[in-house]
Amino acid sequence: MSDPKRYERSFEKHAKEMFFCAALSSDGAAGFAGASDGKVYRFDLNDEKAERVALEGAGHSSYVTGLARAGESLVSVGYDKRLIVWDAKDGKQLRAIEGAHANWIRGVVAFPDGSRVVTVADDMQAAVWDVASGEKLATFTDHAPLTPTHYPSMLFAAAVSEDGKRIATADKVGHVALWDADSFSQVGEFEAPGMYTWDPKARVHSIGGIRSLAFSPDGGKLAVGGIGKIENVDNLAGKARIEIFDVAGGSRLREIQGEKDGVVTRLVWADDASWLFAAGGPGNGFLTFWNPESGERLREEEVGGLVHDAEFASGQEAFFLAAHERVEYWKRKTA
Amino acid sequence: MNHANPSRPLSGLGLSRRRFLGTLGAVAAAGAAADMTGLNVLRQKAMAEELKRRGKRVILLWLAGGASQFETWDPKPGQATGGPYAGIPTSIPGVQISELLPKMAGKLDRTAIIRSMNTQIADHGQGAELMTIGRRPEPGVEYPDLGSIVAAELARADSQVPDFVSMYTATEGRMKTSAGFLGARFNPMFLTDDPMPRNLARLETISDIDHQDRAALRSFLSEGFARRVSSAGVASHGAAYERVRGLMASDTLFDVNEERQAMRDLYGPTQFGEQTLVARRLVEAGVPFVKVARGWWDSHGQNFETHRELCADLDQVMWALLTDLEQRGLLDDTLVVTLSEFGRTPQINGSLGRDHFASAWSCTLSGAGVLGGSVYGKTSEDGTEVTEGEVKPGDLFATIFAALGIDEHKEYMLGSRPIPIADFGAKAIQDVLA
Repeated sequence: MSDPKRYERSFEKHAKEMFFCAALSSDGAAGFAGASDGKVYRFDLNDEKAERVALEGAGHSSYVTGLARAGESLVSVGYDKRLIVWDAKDGKQLRAIEGAHANWIRGVVAFPDGSRVVTVADDMQAAVWDVASGEKLATFTDHAPLTPTHYPSMLFAAAVSEDGKRIATADKVGHVALWDADSFSQVGEFEAPGMYTWDPKARVHSIGGIRSLAFSPDGGKLAVGGIGKIENVDNLAGKARIEIFDVAGGSRLREIQGEKDGVVTRLVWADDASWLFAAGGPGNGFLTFWNPESGERLREEEVGGLVHDAEFASGQEAFFLAAHERVEYWKRKTA
Repeated sequence: MNHANPSRPLSGLGLSRRRFLGTLGAVAAAGAAADMTGLNVLRQKAMAEELKRRGKRVILLWLAGGASQFETWDPKPGQATGGPYAGIPTSIPGVQISELLPKMAGKLDRTAIIRSMNTQIADHGQGAELMTIGRRPEPGVEYPDLGSIVAAELARADSQVPDFVSMYTATEGRMKTSAGFLGARFNPMFLTDDPMPRNLARLETISDIDHQDRAALRSFLSEGFARRVSSAGVASHGAAYERVRGLMASDTLFDVNEERQAMRDLYGPTQFGEQTLVARRLVEAGVPFVKVARGWWDSHGQNFETHRELCADLDQVMWALLTDLEQRGLLDDTLVVTLSEFGRTPQINGSLGRDHFASAWSCTLSGAGVLGGSVYGKTSEDGTEVTEGEVKPGDLFATIFAALGIDEHKEYMLGSRPIPIADFGAKAIQDVLA
């Protein structure tokens, strides 16, 4: 079992921008973060004092909401409905696809072999793209455009299993759909309504939604992250919430409700499935390692801003996180 | 200055004129209030103007909790304060609004956007009171709600419908306002949980004929008493009964099921849509002022997703209302206002929220008396301050009164003290008036 207590903050960098997404270079020497100014920044993780560098190219015209490294390419998406492929090594823009979705793109996830990425957007469509050609291979959805109370829904999250055979997508009202990654046909669905709060009386609007998904390393389980029921929907004043589903059987195996308020924006399983990393927050961010079998909290750390994303290096020796007006780099100390 | 009834307390405000107009109003009541062209009795221009003014109506769409100007009427795309949403072109050349309002972007020809509200009070309760009475409260003076003022100025004495209906379903921020010194006659009919007024239906144990007979007997006895004892109190007592009869007869106005499905579809299935459709039914029937509160816009966390949801509601409903009023020929006489207690901060907090901000925010006026397709005032590039055409609450109220043909310089007399209808020093924004 890898010990989550061995992770230590190596450095943090503050900025005036919000960082919504994170990725790492293939050698783990560089961290990338997508920002609220429409830029993707490269951070030298071996030199704490090095200035960040914005990747070259037109970039995005609005918030960059998703980053995924696919082989030696980096794919970014944003509220501008644009999908951009970058060369992760030299930081140059290779291709930009305008109108990749008909509405704001919420995230992008790469397949393990780096050949394809899946995107999700508020047009409630998931799309699979060939990274090398930029060709859209498929679009599919099982997500209603409107919530039960007739307001626009949102498609926040996607995940790809480590064997590349399954895709999961999840929306604002807590609906999760499972897809075959070759045929793009639907192979299952789960419901996690506890992630969505509709307040019909005091404030007459909603908050919440599933913001993160992660397949266990063997693909047998799917972790779903968001926020539990909220009394006051003005704020993220609900407990961070995780539900774990059995992929084959469809049953809910475990519900984990954190002590901290906030939304779980990122979930990562340990390579040996011994822990489940959850990041997120309200104004003050959190990093929590959970035992996915027992629901025991193994470690929890505060971050000075809502953590929007985190990416672990190969072998989980380190992780790089993107947060409100900061990025942080954490390394695992040797035993 | 137009001094209303200076020698009497405000309970008698404008009574003689109202009686006079009541006679004419009874004629108008037989047909559509807006159709005055057949009234050959109108020989004098002043009388015609007065009746024309009395045909004006207001629907206030109250965006309770404070809508963000950035995500509605004053987008700042590309600025650090701007948020993720783009600005989109509108029917006003060179003017953009948030992409969250696509339907309204194509329908601003009858709307004036005011982008330079500076009201300074960024507390919900105090801000809501400020934007309800148009000035800071003052000990010893109970200032009336905007709706009560409009009702007092525009309602017919013989009206069979309510003068001021206020719908506020969300419990958060709900504040029951009053007509203050204008008197209880102009208090709002306040609807909360149920869109239908409560206790309005006739008791099942009493037939309609019995009910009418009882009313006739009451009226006979009351009139006899009034001949012997002449007083304002007795007259008011009789008038109150007549109004109750009118209200009971108007209960179907509150029922959206009376509308065909296509019309309901136009407004959409949300509560805000249905209540706004009721508002249209009410003003069409002659109710001078209807407020529909859509709460709650207080987006301290997840501002962008909150506005994604709530702006979709506002966009559909406001567009439908203006379209519907226009198609019915009512928009020339109906002023539609969108207003909050304040706007939201340029700064985006750590929960992706925006907090309270009253120094530079937006509202809109559409329809009656408004110069459509106009934008008034400017904020700085990052939206942190007003740079041109600062508007105070009193200025907005004066503008609303002017748009309705109400003398914005008028003074009420509270005992011997003159109280201006709009705040001291307030000026109507001429640039947004037709």
